[in-house]
Amino acid sequence: MIVTYNWLKEFVDFKFSPDDLAHRLTMAGLEVDSMERVGEGYDSVVVAKLVSVDKHPDADKLTVCQVDSGTETVQVVCGAKNHKSGDLVALATVGTVLPGDFKIKKSKIRGIESFGMLCSEKELGLADSSDGIMILSPDFKLGQPVFEALGLKDVRYEIGLTPNRPDCLSVMGVAREVAAMAGGALEVTMPALIEGEQKTSDLTSVIIEEPELCPRYAARLILGVKIGPSPEWLVRRLESVGQRSINNVVDVTNLILMELGQPLHAFDYRRLAEGRIVVKRAASAEQFQTLDGAPRSLGENDLVICDGRGPVALAGIMGGENSEIVPETVDILLESAYFNPLTIRRTSKRLALRTEASHRFERGGDVAMVPVALDKAAALISQVAGGVVCRERIDEYPKPLNERKIVLSIKRVNEILGLKLKLEDVLGHLRSIGLDVYPAEENDEARLIVVVPSFRPDLEREIDLIEEVARLNGYDHIPVTMPAGRMICHIPPRHLKETARLRNAMVASGFSEIVNYSFVAPGSWDRIGLDDADLRRNPVRILNPLTEEQSVMRTSLVPSILETVTRNLAYQNQDLRLFELRPVFLSNPGEVLPLEKWRLCAVMCGRRQPEGWGQVNDNVDFFDLKGVVEQILDMFNISKVVWDGSFGESFLHPGKSCTLRVKDAVLGTLGEVHPKVLAAFDIDEPVLLLDLDFEQLLAASGGPGKFQALSRFPQVARDSAFLVDEDLPFSEVLKVLNQSCGNLVEDFTLFDLYRGKGVPEGKKSLAIRVLYRSADRTLKDEEIQKAHDKIVKTLIDKLGIEIR
Amino acid sequence: MRQASSLFFCAVRDVLPDRIFGFHTGRLERNMREKLIAMLEQGRAAFEAASSPAVLQEIRVRFLGKKGELTAIMKEMGKLSPEERPVLGALANQVKSDLESLFEDRSRIVGEFEMEKRLAEERVDVTLPGRRLVAGTKHPVTLVIEEITSIFSALGFAVAEGPEVEQDFYNFEALNMPKDHPARDMQDTFYVNDDIVLRTHTSPVQIRTMLKHAPPVRIIAPGTVYRRDSDITHTPMFHQVEGFLVERNITFGDLKGILTAFLSQIFGKGLEVRFRPSFFPFTEPSAEVDIQCVMCKGKGCRVCKNSGWLEILGSGMIDPEVFKSVEYDSEVYSGFAFGMGVERIAMLKYGVNDLRLFFENDIRFLRQF
Repeated sequence: MIVTYNWLKEFVDFKFSPDDLAHRLTMAGLEVDSMERVGEGYDSVVVAKLVSVDKHPDADKLTVCQVDSGTETVQVVCGAKNHKSGDLVALATVGTVLPGDFKIKKSKIRGIESFGMLCSEKELGLADSSDGIMILSPDFKLGQPVFEALGLKDVRYEIGLTPNRPDCLSVMGVAREVAAMAGGALEVTMPALIEGEQKTSDLTSVIIEEPELCPRYAARLILGVKIGPSPEWLVRRLESVGQRSINNVVDVTNLILMELGQPLHAFDYRRLAEGRIVVKRAASAEQFQTLDGAPRSLGENDLVICDGRGPVALAGIMGGENSEIVPETVDILLESAYFNPLTIRRTSKRLALRTEASHRFERGGDVAMVPVALDKAAALISQVAGGVVCRERIDEYPKPLNERKIVLSIKRVNEILGLKLKLEDVLGHLRSIGLDVYPAEENDEARLIVVVPSFRPDLEREIDLIEEVARLNGYDHIPVTMPAGRMICHIPPRHLKETARLRNAMVASGFSEIVNYSFVAPGSWDRIGLDDADLRRNPVRILNPLTEEQSVMRTSLVPSILETVTRNLAYQNQDLRLFELRPVFLSNPGEVLPLEKWRLCAVMCGRRQPEGWGQVNDNVDFFDLKGVVEQILDMFNISKVVWDGSFGESFLHPGKSCTLRVKDAVLGTLGEVHPKVLAAFDIDEPVLLLDLDFEQLLAASGGPGKFQALSRFPQVARDSAFLVDEDLPFSEVLKVLNQSCGNLVEDFTLFDLYRGKGVPEGKKSLAIRVLYRSADRTLKDEEIQKAHDKIVKTLIDKLGIEIR
Repeated sequence: MRQASSLFFCAVRDVLPDRIFGFHTGRLERNMREKLIAMLEQGRAAFEAASSPAVLQEIRVRFLGKKGELTAIMKEMGKLSPEERPVLGALANQVKSDLESLFEDRSRIVGEFEMEKRLAEERVDVTLPGRRLVAGTKHPVTLVIEEITSIFSALGFAVAEGPEVEQDFYNFEALNMPKDHPARDMQDTFYVNDDIVLRTHTSPVQIRTMLKHAPPVRIIAPGTVYRRDSDITHTPMFHQVEGFLVERNITFGDLKGILTAFLSQIFGKGLEVRFRPSFFPFTEPSAEVDIQCVMCKGKGCRVCKNSGWLEILGSGMIDPEVFKSVEYDSEVYSGFAFGMGVERIAMLKYGVNDLRLFFENDIRFLRQF
């Protein structure tokens, strides 16, 4: 909503500076989004008088003018023809910068000096084109800035209105708020309406077939108008609030809309069949062309204004092409009505047709403004377009809207706001915005009755009035306190704490957290090569996505994280370690909502360590990622894990991936990304990927691990190297080691894996270090040797491997 | 120790020989004594001349080793008379311990010298870059959510959650936004079907929590939300933190108190805060909360559109209609609710000037937090 400082002043006398006004409006809940000073910076364009106008000695088309600017007389060379001695003109003095960064300098034109410029409207940015220079009204004062003299020096406020305040969708509505701030009264001036002899109801009629949808409809006839351009004041007024002038009649309706907030519509009376109005529902599948030229398909839920034949306007939204004002229009029928907000809203939304009128009607108009706006518009039309206003308006109001009364308890006001207001304070606040307020009973200090005026449809309940009191009292004046209350112990869901723990673990392992959109392209599943039967191919779809690329909720975090890898590599960001811990969305047949399952997805690629001097720089491989997973498993105290290399995801390298199981539960998968998938994402280096089911991880978690006592006795290590078959999985060795080690073994590690010189083809050498320690004594060499020999023997016996 | 042994050494050299001379005469005995004293003098000279641990060790072996000079002299002890033996024995022990002290003292000096020499050689160029472990980072959205959550935890709020794909009832209906309500225009919604939406705010958590728990409640609910909007200042997915408190006698003043306390913690003390009227269907009275622009300190700049203020929170007293939908008695209980955009706070806190960076996941961006 746009209002201007000068226009507001016509309704209410206030003394706030433009900045102060902006602040006050914002603090009253009418947020000023922007404030623009119009005509600012052109104070050096002044009203000046042409003392003499002489022909230029060297140029036929130029004149040399002596111009009196009130303080001095200067010489200006001018190229216009429409000026004569004695005229008042707009003189841009030397130093002025006109719109378009046009700087006025002292100059010499064909040998004659010129000290300024006489401006046209176009040059001042006041019109798109001009025939000559601007000739000003003779009663302007010499030396006065032209913009000021024209009343164009103004401040324009753009207010971001909240939907609950339709009353402020007009200059008058905003002025009412300003009046409350200034403690003044709202004054609405009405031009004199001179009615002709002919009676409106003799020439036309209004029938409301749907009083629920159109409670009130008023109309007037103005006969014999002459459609043409609007007078300058009207054009400028509309421009000041961002409206373009169309013609005199339409401009008046727009002016009233802006000023009073009541949408009006002017029909060409002679184009109305039978010259009458019927308000009714559209027929099913009825076709209608609105005046923007678009064909509209209507239904029974759409309210239309009809003439004797059919629709001539889409009620409260837009007129029809068949009855709009044209240059030849002579007689007009002016409509002023109140429509049911919901009806207008539904139709406007369905047709995606939003207009200034529909915006106001759907938020809730002021039924009392219907006749007032009609009369003011009729008076103005006859003023600017001629014509005679017919006698007595038609005003069909079959269903008067109920007057609303609300009881307001002063105690409640203070309880909610934390204030100590008295009845008179509350009374004063509410009256300042035009509410009719009185004590519920005589000498009642506790309760007020508030009669809500028709322009405040948002005030329905006591709490609405409490908000008004808070607003008018000023939020600033409500004391800052701390709540008192009982202590509560809500136990937050377990996974909240655990996600934080997992995130910390990933960060500690060097991974950076990413956040991708929850929606992806349906083709994502093809890119990661999911099987046709994979349930993840059945995502939750968005009915109205912004783009096809964001049209389904992701069932896997994998496609997005790979895209993130691609994007980073494109920026030469190497050595990535990324993770995302967020929900995926799975169809959940039979349930209202889809399943939201948290997953952890992580990727690694590039070097193991950041590039640097004096260090080995290997690239990461499967076992770097596995190490990260092992740490997570340790942190969640999960043991008895199976790394099942026989089954992996379609998007992983079949030989370098595995599924992670605990008992029957699948915790997730990890491995190198399949080369085909890498190709689909334009990635040309190996990427390792982990995809874990967070809930399964939690389910498998053993809770906090128990403390193990520390041995105070020395540890002894024994190393042995074994030759084993190439295809013997290490897990088999591990199994035997676990079975055969006695209670003297503290731990064992695989410290080398070797193939090559000295190791026969088809074999590999495993170097295993066994660490011995006892909790209660220092171990003797002999007993360690005995234990170690036993382990070695068991390995040889059970696995048929040889000691190297 | 060092002091004591060196005093003793003085005594042997200067006093003992005279005293011993005083009452004895045997030739062999005298010869041995002279040898011992000469050996002590030689040893002293040799140790003092030694400049490396190896040489010191050599000297030590020469004099004190199993086959050293002292042992050789001692072998002749048997030839002495029983009276002479203990006297000379005492002298020999004295010489031995003096030599050992000499060795130790000199070793210490040589050791220190050696250490200094080594340290002088071992200098590194400390201006070479350090070798780092790979450092991970949390997403700024996570960091801000953690910070907000911890501030409110200290104020007694507990964390709650709700689904991101949500029923229209929780997202709109129960929050006093029936179908066709103009307030639905304020939020462009993604629909899954007529009754299921991607939640447009975290406020549905209010409803879900209040339906489950009787008052008092004090909840903070961070989460992901979605709106059908995408341009320089809007992303279709972003994050919010919702908070609410319901108890007896809660006032608008309490809302101001809690939010002022929160804002001064997250943006620093001394920051000006203002509350101004606004509209949300689920609160009444509603307040938009502004902070003094953190970029220009209120002077007016591009970020605050020259107003000096930044919108940071939406808030208000919970509307009685909302209480009705969760069957709370609004005559007994009152409460307030608030919601804030996480990315917006992150942008202001860290000075990020482009919202879209939060979802591009460029590692150069992520590593800055």
